[in-house]
Amino acid sequence: MPARERRAALRDRTAIVGVGASVFGRGLPQSQLQLGLRAFKAALDDAGLRREDVDGLAINLGWPLGTDYDRVAETFGLDIRYANQTWTHGRFVTLALQHAALAVHAGLAECVACLTACSFTQEKDLLGGPHDIEGMREEGGTHGENPVYGQTSPSGGAALAFSRYMARYGATGDQLAAVPMALRRHAALNPAAIMREPLTLEAYRASRWVIQPLRIYDYCLVSDGACCVLVTSVERARDLAQRPVLLSGMQGIRSGRGEFIFGPPGLGINQQPESARTPLAADLGVYEMAGIDRAAVDAFYTYDAFSPLVLFALERFGFCGPGEAAAWVQGGRIGPGGELPVNTSGGLLSEAHVSGWNSIVELVRQLRGACGPRQVSDAHVMQWGTPWGDSVLFHN
Amino acid sequence: MAEHNAAPAAYAKPLPRITPDNRPFWEAARRHELHLPHCADCARAFWPPGPVCPWCFEENLSWRALSGRGVISSWVLFHRAWFPSFAGDIPYAVVQVELEEGPRLTSGTLNLPHDRLAVGLPVEVAFDDVTPAITLPKFRARRN
Repeated sequence: MPARERRAALRDRTAIVGVGASVFGRGLPQSQLQLGLRAFKAALDDAGLRREDVDGLAINLGWPLGTDYDRVAETFGLDIRYANQTWTHGRFVTLALQHAALAVHAGLAECVACLTACSFTQEKDLLGGPHDIEGMREEGGTHGENPVYGQTSPSGGAALAFSRYMARYGATGDQLAAVPMALRRHAALNPAAIMREPLTLEAYRASRWVIQPLRIYDYCLVSDGACCVLVTSVERARDLAQRPVLLSGMQGIRSGRGEFIFGPPGLGINQQPESARTPLAADLGVYEMAGIDRAAVDAFYTYDAFSPLVLFALERFGFCGPGEAAAWVQGGRIGPGGELPVNTSGGLLSEAHVSGWNSIVELVRQLRGACGPRQVSDAHVMQWGTPWGDSVLFHN
Repeated sequence: MAEHNAAPAAYAKPLPRITPDNRPFWEAARRHELHLPHCADCARAFWPPGPVCPWCFEENLSWRALSGRGVISSWVLFHRAWFPSFAGDIPYAVVQVELEEGPRLTSGTLNLPHDRLAVGLPVEVAFDDVTPAITLPKFRARRN
């Protein structure tokens, strides 16, 4: 069977049937397992499932920032027959969710729990500097780290990318400010968000540099919290408590010399060729697989650890052209009630840093129509799409 | 500020991890030369180092001296000292340099005022002997 037909066979065959979250906060005393348990039990209750119904784990958790799948399974008393583990990195959110759907569709599991649990305030030494084990690798870490020259912290890669983007396209810091300001407006409508007070352009301009050209408000929260998402077959989903949210389309992570994790293709960071890279059909398989046009997307969710990543993701999926996103996000376009609301819970910038799973939980709640004052009206289609090119398209 | 005492303290910043893949780079740097792996089949230098040419997938590789010239392709200024050993340097610059031969290196600067940092600035390699065993290639403004 050709790949296109195999993809189409997976369309709308799996669904998210339960979501749960722990409390989000900074300096929470709980362990990751304690936070993860709250999220897991909440997701089971939400779906009307029992622990015994979960036979798969796709966890976005693990060394050096958490426990591994087997510890989770034995701690929670699970009987697991399919596990996928990606360690704690936002880049692996999509992989975990996709593996869950693929395992269910292939019949390797009935119900897979995707779980992440972060306690960044207890482990912030790992996020840059001498204790950042991943960032100390030979030839640098996974976000362009090069500790020999003081290039450290994942944000260093985002800063390098945005510095080049500014020079190449004339984007400005004031334009970038529209991203954290819009997400803060979303967060103001979300009681679970950690940062809810308004963010003004004046406050943004007056805030301190961390790695110039990024200011403190361009940084995600260093916070604690856990999320759990339950994936099962569409047949099983029909019998459960919630209106299922179907996984309609997906595309995988991109990697190679044309890619830098925190910059769009063609920007010219590390060894990327420099070219204006308008996405081609081959870059946008998520829409083709779902049979849904990009114009139908009611809200967009992305990994917003650093505000430039939002711009890069919007360009990556063709919502605007290369170099255009900084202008495109002005005028409330991605904020509440905008043409394309982005990260409507407040995201990592204002709600909490749960690796991005808080955005998956949010879009499921949105597609159920359960978001109260921040509900996107008449919502049918929502997209998770990352700056590194992977994506899942959902509909209700 | 131990780093500025009359009797120099031991170098406290991170040092490169020398591996079989990158050893020739650091050996050349110690001689104040900039060497990168070069593919004989497609006549191109590449980075990061590895056992095979990333373009033609052949293994006919050698390390060759480069001109050491390039332009800044991106730059940032660190205002936070994640490494205590860099605290005395705040704010310090990190650059990516696109070498004449094509590859881009992440590096630091030598005697390059921050107000001159700009994408496209012509630079050339300069060598910083930080320990008896390790020399760091860095970049300074080029006088065309």
